[in-house]
Amino acid sequence: MYYFDELIVSEIKKKNEVALRELYKTHYPMIVNLIRSNNGTEEEAKDIYQEAVIAFYEKVQQPEFILTCKIKTYLYAVCRRLWLKRLAEKKRYHGNIQETETFLGIEEEMNAIEDNEQRFIRMRESLASLGEPCRGILEDFYMHDLSMEAIRDKFGYTNADNAKNQKYKCLQRLKKLFFATYKEDLP
Amino acid sequence: MNADQALYELLDDYFSGKLTAEEAEAVENKLKSDPALNAKAQQHKTMRDAMKFYNNRVELKHMLDSAHLEVEETKPVVLLPATIGGWKKYWPMTAVAASVAMVSILGTLWMTQSLETKQTAIYKELRRNVDQIKHSQKMLMKDIAQSMDKGKQPIPSKYAGSGFLISSNGYVATSYHVVKEADSVFIENEKFGRQKVTIVLRDPANDIAVLKLMNDSIAYTTRSLPYAIAKDEASLGEHVFTLGFPREDIVFGEGSISASTGFSQNPNSYQVSVPVNPGNSGGPLFNESGDLVGIISGIQTETLGAAFAIKSTVIMDAISKASLDTLARPLVLPKYSTLKNSSRVQQVKRWKDYVFVVQVYKN
Repeated sequence: MYYFDELIVSEIKKKNEVALRELYKTHYPMIVNLIRSNNGTEEEAKDIYQEAVIAFYEKVQQPEFILTCKIKTYLYAVCRRLWLKRLAEKKRYHGNIQETETFLGIEEEMNAIEDNEQRFIRMRESLASLGEPCRGILEDFYMHDLSMEAIRDKFGYTNADNAKNQKYKCLQRLKKLFFATYKEDLP
Repeated sequence: MNADQALYELLDDYFSGKLTAEEAEAVENKLKSDPALNAKAQQHKTMRDAMKFYNNRVELKHMLDSAHLEVEETKPVVLLPATIGGWKKYWPMTAVAASVAMVSILGTLWMTQSLETKQTAIYKELRRNVDQIKHSQKMLMKDIAQSMDKGKQPIPSKYAGSGFLISSNGYVATSYHVVKEADSVFIENEKFGRQKVTIVLRDPANDIAVLKLMNDSIAYTTRSLPYAIAKDEASLGEHVFTLGFPREDIVFGEGSISASTGFSQNPNSYQVSVPVNPGNSGGPLFNESGDLVGIISGIQTETLGAAFAIKSTVIMDAISKASLDTLARPLVLPKYSTLKNSSRVQQVKRWKDYVFVVQVYKN
């Protein structure tokens, strides 16, 4: 249906960074225009746009993803909704931005985006209050997929068991912090 | 290493797929049979996913931030040299275009005389506040220079207005704006002929001037005036009449007091519905009993049928303040009207002897 969009999507599915950059650059001016003509700054436009692009990217990564509307439409509609929400939070604006483009299932999409954003923020805050070296150990093990041996060397533990011990304690602390604030939406 | 720690090690290995097929199957069976354990495992998976998710987002954000830098960089780096180059390249052409535009604009303004009118317009705007009467009212002066026969009259009078006697011993009232630029002033009517007068009172604020007949003998031959000057303000709706010289002959006009204030609520004048024209300025305004109630002073240009007359009370004030009594010939205002019960035609017959055309000469 949309050849360029299909191409971009198939490349993004392969995690092609160049394609993502291209996508980012293509639609950014539209969103700057939208935000700035509705009481926003360029900085805010960047925030909103990145949130939408990230949501799109994550959506594309899902194996069952099919493109049902133009990427442009998706980004515009999502940005518009995100910005309306942001404005309502700031109590700066109570009107409406004219809806020129939208797609089916935007409500579900906005809920999913909201949930993911919540999850991201909880994790960021939990990690921040965890402190070092716990944070470093967990990040290296669970995010960067380092082996326990490498972690032992990096953090200067005398043996791998000490490191594992430390990792276990850290994990329990993080779990406490994370679920204390993130109780909803458990699977 | 306690049991719980060992369990998490096992779960980590299970979720990251490091276990062998048999080991994984053993774990799965264990989870199926033990709901408490299963819940723990699911929670751990949620944690792991959340961490993965967090990490992916952080990396993605970094990537987008760098992409954003490209967006921002492209603006200044590409555009700035282009504009400089463009200016350098095109400045002679721009200069030529600018001068052509300048010449054509100034030329057009000069040809249509817009330059001068524009300046006077600004000047008038400034004068509006300072000199309200002058700007707001259309002066009822008549430029009769062109209508005069140049052969017989080498120096024609510049302006003409109307005037009338306010004292039997030769004082004539008129509007200040009629005589303000005068070098010499003459008054003329059927009865008195042409007489030279001097200006003895100039009151620009009230737009009143008083002229004095130079010829004493004529001044003293006049009988007492048939009309008096009204001491009270005229009422709204009162019928009023005027005599004046908008043309060579005396012209009668009638109407009524339509407002007790003048232009922009000026309390010193009336608004009257009397048809007046340039040349009527300085003419008398009489009421039905033949008393003088005002001096015609001007009209409002944008409103139809709105003329203005200075109130007689103001005239009396102005004259008494000017203390003209110190003059050799005291100014005595008429106090008694003898026209009260006459018909209009009779009144006008008497009045017109005391109304003059005021001719103003100016080099």
